[in-house]
Amino acid sequence: MIIFENVSKFILNSVSIHVPQGETVGLIGASGAGKTTFLKLACGLLKPSNGRIYTMGLKPALEQKELCRGLGVLFADIPVLQKEDTVVGNFELLRSIYQINKDRFDQDYHELSDRLGFVLLSDRPVRDLSLGQRRRVEIGAALIHRPGLLLLDEPTAGLDENAKQAFYELIRERRREGLTTILTSHDMEEISKLCSRIALLDQGKHLYYGTEEQIKKRFTPMDTMQLEVEGRLPDLEDLPLVRYTVDENRLSLSYDSNCVTAAEIVKLVVQQTVIKKMKIRKPELADVIVRLKTNDKAENLSVDHEERE
Amino acid sequence: MFLKPYFAFAKKSFLGRSAYRFDHFMSILNTCLQIFIFWGIYQALYGGRSEVDGITMTMVSTSFILSMGLKAVFYVDDYFLPSKVWDGSIANEFLRPVSFRGRMLAENIGNAIFNVIFHFLPALLISVLLIGICPPESAGMTVCFLFSTILGYGVLWTISFAVQAAAFWAINIWSLATLKDVLINIFSGTMIPLWFMPEWIYEALKITPFPYIYFTPVQIYLGQLSYTEIAQQCMLQLIWILLIYLLGTLLFKKGQKKLVVQGG
Repeated sequence: MIIFENVSKFILNSVSIHVPQGETVGLIGASGAGKTTFLKLACGLLKPSNGRIYTMGLKPALEQKELCRGLGVLFADIPVLQKEDTVVGNFELLRSIYQINKDRFDQDYHELSDRLGFVLLSDRPVRDLSLGQRRRVEIGAALIHRPGLLLLDEPTAGLDENAKQAFYELIRERRREGLTTILTSHDMEEISKLCSRIALLDQGKHLYYGTEEQIKKRFTPMDTMQLEVEGRLPDLEDLPLVRYTVDENRLSLSYDSNCVTAAEIVKLVVQQTVIKKMKIRKPELADVIVRLKTNDKAENLSVDHEERE
Repeated sequence: MFLKPYFAFAKKSFLGRSAYRFDHFMSILNTCLQIFIFWGIYQALYGGRSEVDGITMTMVSTSFILSMGLKAVFYVDDYFLPSKVWDGSIANEFLRPVSFRGRMLAENIGNAIFNVIFHFLPALLISVLLIGICPPESAGMTVCFLFSTILGYGVLWTISFAVQAAAFWAINIWSLATLKDVLINIFSGTMIPLWFMPEWIYEALKITPFPYIYFTPVQIYLGQLSYTEIAQQCMLQLIWILLIYLLGTLLFKKGQKKLVVQGG
C-alpha cells in the first residue's frame, strides 16, 4: 500500500518502509522525529529530496489527484472543515466532491455521527464547535468517502475517552474491511491498542519497523521481577541478571529478556525455595521513547563534554 | 458527472450569500447611491448641454449604470486563495479530487449569479426608473453584450486569480489587491467612461486588459461597435483571459511546488 525506498526529506534520512494493505501502523518517536513529514510525503504534500515513494501504486507528489480519491487524511496543523458552514453542510460538500451515492452517504453519515458523537451537532456551524467536537467531526470527514488508506496525525488529540473508544472501534472495523491506516500519536497505549505494526523514528532515522513485542525486546529488553519468598533466599548468581536487590524476603530482579527468560529464573528459584508472590513487569511502549530520549540526552551531554575538553 | 462538485460549490456560495440579507440590501443601496452620485457629478459637468464631443448624457448615464451594475455582479473574493494559504488549509484542497482553481471559479460564479438576480437587477431597475438608460441597440447587440460581459468577467477573474496566487510568497496581498482595484476602477471605464480620456491614454489602455472588463460590453450595448469590431474585441478579451490565466497558473503551480518542496 505504501512503499518508501531510501526516502530523505527535511529531518527524515534514508527511510525505507513497506506498509502492506490492511495494516494499522503506528508511527512513534519523540517530537520532531519526522512523523508528520512522513505522512505528508506519503500523501504527496511534500516531495522527497531523495528516494522513491509509492502510495497505492502511485507517485504521490506527481499523481496526487488520482491518489486522493482513495485517501483520507487528517493533519494536526491543517484545517479540514469550512468554519462558516454547518457540520452537515461540510459533509454534503464532501458528498459532492467524492460523488458519494446519496443512500450510502446517508447511511454512513448517520453511523459516523452517531458513533463519534456529533449527531446533535449536525446543524451547528463548525466555528462554534469546541476542539474535541471539531476533532470528532474531522475524523468523520476523513472516513465518509470510505478511503482505502487513512493517514492520521495525532487523531485523538483533544478527544474524550468515549470518542477515543469509538474511534478505535471504527478503525478496527474498517481494518477488517481492508482499510490501511498510518497514524502518529504520543499516546503509547493508543498505539498498543490499535496498531498491528509500529514504525519507530528517531531524529529522522528509521530505527525499527515491526510488531510491538519485537520493538520492546530490541529497545527496552529489561524486564523486572518482584518475588516474595518463604524460607531461605535463593542463590541466583549463575543467572545473567542486570540488577539484584534484596529486602528481607523480597527480591527485585532486573534482567535482559534477550539473555534470560522469566521461566528460567522461576525454575531456578523454585528449586531452592517457595515463592509466595510474584510480579513481572514487562516494558511499556512508552519506555522505548523514554529510553531513546535518555540515550539521546546522554549522547548530547557526552558530545558537549568532549567539545569543552 | 465531473462537473457535479463544481455545481455544489456554486450552489453553496449562492445559498451562503442569501443568508446575509442585511448585507445584501445594503449592497443594493450602495450601488444605487454610487450611481446617483455619479449621475449628479456628470449632470453638473454637462451643465445643461445635451452632448459633449458627441457623447450624450444618456450615453454616459447608461455607461456608468451598466458598469457599476456589472461591477456589483463581478465581485471576486481576492482573499479566497490567500486565506487558505495563510491558514494552511490549501494543503487540504490539494488532497481533494477536484481542481482548486475550478472550485474558486465555481464559488465566484455562484456569487455572481446571486448578484445578478438580487443585486444587479434591482439596482438596474431603480436606476432605469429614476435616471433612465439607452435601450439596447438591437437583439443581436444584446446577445453580443451578454457574451462580451461573460468574457469581461473572465478577464476580471483571471486578474484576481493572478493577484491571489502571489499569496504563496507574501504575508499580505492587501497592497497588491488595492492596486489592482484602483487600476481597474480608473482604467476600465467604470468611474470615467474611456471616451473622456485623452487620446493617448485611451490608445495606451487598449494594450492593457482593463478596458475589456466593463468598457467593451458597454460599447457593444450602446451599439458603438460593428459586428466585425465586436468579434475583434471579443477575441482580444479571450486572448487576455488566456494570457492572464497562464500567468496566474504559472504562479499557482510555482506556489504549489514551493509548498511541496519547501513545506511552506
